[in-house]
Amino acid sequence: MKTPVMTKKTVTVSLMLSGFILLFFMACAPDRREEATDLLSDRDISEDIQLTDETIGEIITSVPNPVEMTVLLQRSNVVYTQDLLNPTANINNYNTNFKRSLNLGVYGTDLVYMNIYDRTVATLSYLRNVKNLAEDLRIGQFFDYETLNRLSESSRNVDSVLYITNRGFDGMSNYLINQGRSSIAVLIATGTWIESLYIATNVQIHPPNKELIHQRIGEQKVVLDNLLLLMSNFRNDEQFEELFNDLLDLKKEFDKVSIQYIYEERTTKVVDDKVVVVDNSRSEVNIDDEIVEGIAQQVEYIRNKIVE
Amino acid sequence: MSEEILKALMQLFAIIAKQDVGLSTNEREFVENFLRQQLNESSVKEYLALFDEYVGDKKASENDNDQDQKPKLTSVKDSVKTLGIAKKINKTLTQKQKVVVLVRLFELVNSDKKFTPQRMAIIDTAAEVFNISKEEYNAIETFVVQEDASKWDIPEILIINSEETSPEKAKHISSPQLDGTILVLRIQSVELYFLRYTSTKELLLNGLPINNLKIYLFARGSVIKQPKGKPIFHTDIVSKFLSDDTSINVHFKVEKVHYRFPNGHIGLREVNIEEQSGKMLAIMGASGSGKTTLLNVMSGMSKPTTGSVNINGNDLHEKNELIKGIIGYIPQDDLLIEELTVYENLYYSTKLVYRDLTDEDIEGKVNRVLFNLGLSHIKHLKVGDPLNKEISGGQRKRLNIGLELIREPAVLFVDEPTSGLSSRDSENVMELLRELTVRGKLIFVVIHQPSSEIFKMFDNVTILDDGGYQIYYGNPVEAVIYFKELDNQINSHIGECPSCGNVNPETIFSIIESRIVDEYGQPTSGRKVTPAEWYEHFKNKISINKITGMFDKLPESFKKPNWLNQYKIFFTRDFVAKISNKQYLVLNLLEAPLLGFLLAFVIRYIEDPTSDVYIFRNNDNIMPYIFMCTIVALFLGLIVSAEEIFKDRKILKRESFLDLSRSSYLCSKIGILFILSAIQAFLFIIVGNYILGIKGMYFEYWLVFFSLAAFANVLGLNISSAFNSAITIYILIPFLIIPQMVLTGAMFSFDKINRAIGGGQEKVPIIAEIMPSRWAFEGLVVNQYKNNKYYEDFYSKRKLESALYYKDVYYINELKRYVEDYKFRLASGHEEPISADDLELLRNEISKEHESEFTQYHDYRFDYFDKLTPENFNSEIADSLTNYLNRVHEFYRDRFNFVNETIDQEIVSRTRTPEMEEEYQQLRNNYHNRYLASFAKNEMAPLPVVRLGNKLVQKSDPIYLDPQNQRLMNFRSHFLAPRKHFAGNLFDTFYFNLAILWIFTLLLYLALYYKLFSKFIFVAENGLPFLRTKLKSTKNKIQDFLIKQTGI
Repeated sequence: MKTPVMTKKTVTVSLMLSGFILLFFMACAPDRREEATDLLSDRDISEDIQLTDETIGEIITSVPNPVEMTVLLQRSNVVYTQDLLNPTANINNYNTNFKRSLNLGVYGTDLVYMNIYDRTVATLSYLRNVKNLAEDLRIGQFFDYETLNRLSESSRNVDSVLYITNRGFDGMSNYLINQGRSSIAVLIATGTWIESLYIATNVQIHPPNKELIHQRIGEQKVVLDNLLLLMSNFRNDEQFEELFNDLLDLKKEFDKVSIQYIYEERTTKVVDDKVVVVDNSRSEVNIDDEIVEGIAQQVEYIRNKIVE
Repeated sequence: MSEEILKALMQLFAIIAKQDVGLSTNEREFVENFLRQQLNESSVKEYLALFDEYVGDKKASENDNDQDQKPKLTSVKDSVKTLGIAKKINKTLTQKQKVVVLVRLFELVNSDKKFTPQRMAIIDTAAEVFNISKEEYNAIETFVVQEDASKWDIPEILIINSEETSPEKAKHISSPQLDGTILVLRIQSVELYFLRYTSTKELLLNGLPINNLKIYLFARGSVIKQPKGKPIFHTDIVSKFLSDDTSINVHFKVEKVHYRFPNGHIGLREVNIEEQSGKMLAIMGASGSGKTTLLNVMSGMSKPTTGSVNINGNDLHEKNELIKGIIGYIPQDDLLIEELTVYENLYYSTKLVYRDLTDEDIEGKVNRVLFNLGLSHIKHLKVGDPLNKEISGGQRKRLNIGLELIREPAVLFVDEPTSGLSSRDSENVMELLRELTVRGKLIFVVIHQPSSEIFKMFDNVTILDDGGYQIYYGNPVEAVIYFKELDNQINSHIGECPSCGNVNPETIFSIIESRIVDEYGQPTSGRKVTPAEWYEHFKNKISINKITGMFDKLPESFKKPNWLNQYKIFFTRDFVAKISNKQYLVLNLLEAPLLGFLLAFVIRYIEDPTSDVYIFRNNDNIMPYIFMCTIVALFLGLIVSAEEIFKDRKILKRESFLDLSRSSYLCSKIGILFILSAIQAFLFIIVGNYILGIKGMYFEYWLVFFSLAAFANVLGLNISSAFNSAITIYILIPFLIIPQMVLTGAMFSFDKINRAIGGGQEKVPIIAEIMPSRWAFEGLVVNQYKNNKYYEDFYSKRKLESALYYKDVYYINELKRYVEDYKFRLASGHEEPISADDLELLRNEISKEHESEFTQYHDYRFDYFDKLTPENFNSEIADSLTNYLNRVHEFYRDRFNFVNETIDQEIVSRTRTPEMEEEYQQLRNNYHNRYLASFAKNEMAPLPVVRLGNKLVQKSDPIYLDPQNQRLMNFRSHFLAPRKHFAGNLFDTFYFNLAILWIFTLLLYLALYYKLFSKFIFVAENGLPFLRTKLKSTKNKIQDFLIKQTGI
């Protein structure tokens, strides 16, 4: 072999190779495909907002927390069943912000339900779904997944888990409203509410507590009115419109429920050396099995549409 | 000879014998003798009976009254019969054997001198059927039949007699003490020699007496011994016939050669040798005396420290380009390619040497050489390795010699040709070399303990002693006398055994190395005569014969093929070798798809425990799969190449004399390896990607896998050319692969490795920049993420969304925090409300913000940028800054919402109907992988934004982040950047990384070409002594120069 001297041939070969590499560069030359900056240009913000963000925020806060209903169910010795919950694999079907927001609410409720019933292992996959949906919606920063994951390992931490979960949901809704993305906050609230109502209308309830739970279901009439008010705000969107109409159907069922406000005199009594005023007024909800059945059917219809 | 042939011969003999006058006693005797030579006693009788039967009953009657018989014409029946038999023979015998048969027929007729037309007609017929040319037929006739010495003068015949004068046409050897004449006939077409002797005096052919009536086949290696006078060797005779071969006349002169090893030891001291074409010189000496060193210096492989080696007046070490073509070197080790057959080994060597010959010419040449080496019958056997033998040691050695012979070098160096061979094989090999000298070659042989026979074959011998002293140069037999005399032995004038003619070269060495004996008779370590003393004797007593006369000009250049043709030959040779090694081929081709299957099958994970449907999107293992692809590519690439050059090193050493192009050799290696790697890559990827359902990415995966394997191929070639044992090479492989595994970026996040090597910085650590595995891995991950069929539509929008999101949620808030902190501290009366570093950070970041691409879409600027210094910063500036940040923040928030909604709208519109939704879902499940996305978005990062020095660095969503601070020639970026920056442009990461891989490969090729690795290792190993000698020689040169210049 020739002693390594840069011969003419090597020069040629090296040149050829360098040429190839240069070609490489040229072939894939300045890559501008990734620019989508046309989306940044000025545009008309023409949203027909009737309610202020502040109002929306207040109404959303008034939607009951799923914890209340679930604790009630648990105290009423309702048997736990995972069959009622939205299967975790369904998350793969949620592609749009609309679906994601609703189901973030649904999974959030399921998560609470499971936590209260101490089902820690399965809880993790619901937790992960909540986190994934939140991230897809770009509000993942409110979920301290690491901490929740750690806390969920032990059933003693249920309170902390619930607290953090709640704080996360509250944080998200506040943020979304501030961010000008209140539609998403409304959908999350709607999802949460529908899911807890769905669970409440579908569990097997034993007679002594039935009354109480049915009462609680009936009270949701007020909440639904509020939700419809929120929804009507976004009715120009096709998807909202559809949901709104379904909720209107539900309202028809709820309209069968009558709520009477019974006024009683306030009384005072002394507790621990202090005078306390007791408000004795109460609302009386008139609801029977038939109405509950009607509500249950419509709730199931809406809920299945949401999670499908 | 087979039964059938013998029968046919008997028939032929019988037909000839029974013609006209019929069978004579002499003829019958001839047949009987002939059979006796071939067969044992009982079979002789059987065949003789057969012969008699063929001759028929004519015998009895015709024997009595043959005088009265009139000559008859050959019967038609006999002619037809002859024709039939001859044709039958034609089908089974080789041309050589047919010539022998023809000679025997002549001999039969000659046994009784009855050359009747009938008999001759039959021989004629046979010769015709055998396709023997008229000239050769006539020559045979002349040789067998003619008794008249004057008729012998034809070119095919060699005459050996006591006369001094040569005949005109015939060849002649004069042997003064010979009685009568020896005739040798050469049949050129089959290269056969026949011999006959006219006298009845005793003469031995290979130890057996020669009968003057018989004709002998004069085989290779035969020797004729006469009671008095020199024996006549086969080579002597052949050389007469071949002497008109054109070979250049060479004068080889070694003058005062000194050689010093790099470590300072002296290898040779003032060695002188002078030889010319047609000689064979033995270099002998105890082990370690410098024989091989001398051979290396003489063959031009090592440069002498002082002194020179000249060929026809050209200094071998100065003009080595010129001389390389005429020198051949046969090292002690095998130079054969084990996977090739005997024929192929020779064939490719030949092709490398001769540019002008056509394929047929080369085939002819190869066949001729194989024939001359006696290897024709095994030419289609594979060579095999020495442990797994297919051909014998002697055959291997002969083939090795054949490799050199084929190009007919004028000077041949042979290192220990007989080591490890049986005495028969040794002699064969040496005879072969001896034969070459008669064709005008000059041969130098390093030999150790030759037998008497071999020792006497040499024309000259030179003996070296410990320390590189030359202590003898001259005739081998006289060497014994010389040392015996110096040792004052009895009978010192007798060199060889007077009765048997044996010479014992061992005598010489026992004299040279004889030890001083102590008073108890035990040999001590001291020598009676030291090497230096022997050298003194040599200097005083022996002078080297000067050779004078005209010498040919050396051929200008060697007719080697051009680069491309060399490449083709190297390539085919390697290719044929690889193809013929079934095990190698099958293993290499099965390995890749099997690994691919194993890997992909094992990690084909279905997330949903209740489902059996595999969904690509939910397979957790796609990122690890890509990582494993890079590792497998490296492994396979290294393993196929790691031994390539190492395996060839001996062959390379030999081919260095052919002055072939190194780059063409390397390129052919690389070409074959690349093809192999490309196939492996194809098989691996097609199986692996199919099983894992990685759709629409086969080509990209293949390209990266192949590019990385190609890199590993060239890396492997580098180490295989730099290291000198297979075990070192394999020890090195983990060392080359494990760092690449660690620094791929897959196993350990670059954010979480040791900061001393650049962990947690903005950019990929420098040490990982030189890891091809990481370029490959990054290229594939980025491509898989952003260019898959599902995501390519969204990528650009998602990228924008990501940038806005980062600014909105993390970045601006982080900046605001510094201002808020300032305000808080100021309110609480802190001494230094904001540190200089923090201000610096704000300056840096605001300046970046001012230059950001988004500034085109809003006109918020911070007006007091200059005031962001410790002296000027105050609460008003802080308020203004807050104001600015708020406005920018609002801009980002607003645009983020819009982009986010736009993307959502697009998805909504694409999932309008259930069918469309199904389709969309399928697309997403088949092309988008969640876990790879999570990796590409660095979701596991502890913080989305970190402070490095006085800068904020984005750690979230690297896959959406173009390289920051794009200075002109800076090509470095953060890990998983979607595009790479170089020379003011942005390039797609996939192609950019591929280009980097090929640049690495090219650099390694250059390192390979210039042997940088071996040079490095050489310096590392010989560092100090090497430098010392270098220094010394430079010093000497400077001194010499000064002396010359100043004349002092």
